[in-house]
Amino acid sequence: MKNKISALMDGELFADEANHVIAELKSQSSAQQDWQIYHLIGDVLRQPEAITREVGSAVHERLQLEAVILAPQRSMTEKARNIALSAAASVMAVVAVSWMAMQATPNKSAQLAAQTSALTRASFVLKPQVNAYLLAHQELSPSSDVQGGSAFIRTTNYSNEDVAP
Amino acid sequence: MKWLLYACLFTSLNGYAAESSTSHDWLKTLAFAGHGTDFSGDFVYQHDNQVETFRISHIVASDSEYEKVISLDGPKQEIIRHHGQTWCYRNHKMVQVASQQGYAKFPSRLLENVSDLNTLYRVQEVAKEQVAGYLTQVILLQSVDNLRYSHKIWLHSETGLLLKAAVLDEKKNVLEQYLFTQLKIGAAADRAWLASPQVDSKIVASIKTPALLDIKSGWVVDALPTGFVKVQEIKRAMTKKHAPVTQIVYSDGLSALSVFIEPTDDDDEDDKEGLSSRGSVNLYQKVVGLHLYTVVGEVPARTVMQVLDSIRFKGN
Repeated sequence: MKNKISALMDGELFADEANHVIAELKSQSSAQQDWQIYHLIGDVLRQPEAITREVGSAVHERLQLEAVILAPQRSMTEKARNIALSAAASVMAVVAVSWMAMQATPNKSAQLAAQTSALTRASFVLKPQVNAYLLAHQELSPSSDVQGGSAFIRTTNYSNEDVAP
Repeated sequence: MKWLLYACLFTSLNGYAAESSTSHDWLKTLAFAGHGTDFSGDFVYQHDNQVETFRISHIVASDSEYEKVISLDGPKQEIIRHHGQTWCYRNHKMVQVASQQGYAKFPSRLLENVSDLNTLYRVQEVAKEQVAGYLTQVILLQSVDNLRYSHKIWLHSETGLLLKAAVLDEKKNVLEQYLFTQLKIGAAADRAWLASPQVDSKIVASIKTPALLDIKSGWVVDALPTGFVKVQEIKRAMTKKHAPVTQIVYSDGLSALSVFIEPTDDDDEDDKEGLSSRGSVNLYQKVVGLHLYTVVGEVPARTVMQVLDSIRFKGN
């Protein structure tokens, strides 16, 4: 179980395994303690300026002192899901925006590419080297069948450079 | 927020249920029309702020299809397709580029999946318009998610031939489009090039295409977009590659993507990583462990990235 918790934290589990471990975490308090300890170890290893132990219980204590608000509330899991979704969405937005920028202003692409190097590290126009993959794809792609020879037009532009005489 | 999404999805599903049967038939007609109809004409291919013009002749003779496409501007380009084989003009000669061994399967496969298309695309007959002087039915296939592009197609009202096609991103920007500017259909189609004797002598089958080997590679994609199913899984030789490359083709019936997996070469792998595009095609490459992954398809950038990042070896 401990190995699995560690793997979950590192994002090394596949969805089905992860769900299983998360279910275990929900039901077993010992597993929850392991989870917290592992995060604490992780924090120590990363050497932040301040290390806080048992944040969960501290927050819980503080919450007990807060005034009670009688209003309909969404469940925590739903909130968590929304946060996760919006995080993913903003990552996608960054990719999409930089992508659009590349498309619109090729002159700036080198500059922008440097900024977004963690996400994408290559030029944004297909290089001749990848032509073989395009051809191989179009050979077996059902959409080539509808478009006929026209689909191959995408690749022939590079064909002169592609094959040495 | 989520209920709203479901509500929208549900009403839209209901909304087009009534009209989907007619669009259905259009798609079936389309799948056949491209093969069974004689036509010749000029068309424009527009992508990435570029415009290119081509001339095409498509003739069906004694159960065999002939198709020739030549460029009318820019560098010389020529493509000949005959009986499921494709030749391209390269270095002053015609070279066979694709053997299309699996080719015969596709029209029928496409048809099998037409019904599934209705769950992945919202199919609407939007208008009747003229293209190259012919009356066409305009059909919008709007993607229900952002993992595939929307398509707008203009089909000849009589034959179902595709006279114009546009690929749209989620903001309805046109990524690429084909458009006939001049066209002759049926008996009027230009057959001149078929008769010309130099056609056969020009075809040089200089590349001996190795057999495409159907395999079970053990590689899987965990985060495949809804509706994409495996079409083919093969091992193939590729130019400038030492080792055979595993290729897995997935399709949702309208768009397709290929996953390539190969052992890494010694030469500069850094150069190979990243995202690139041409028209509606996106390509993403990354070295993971001892393998080079390549994902290419007529799908958005986020889709090729999502697919590549979920490739794993499951074993046989």
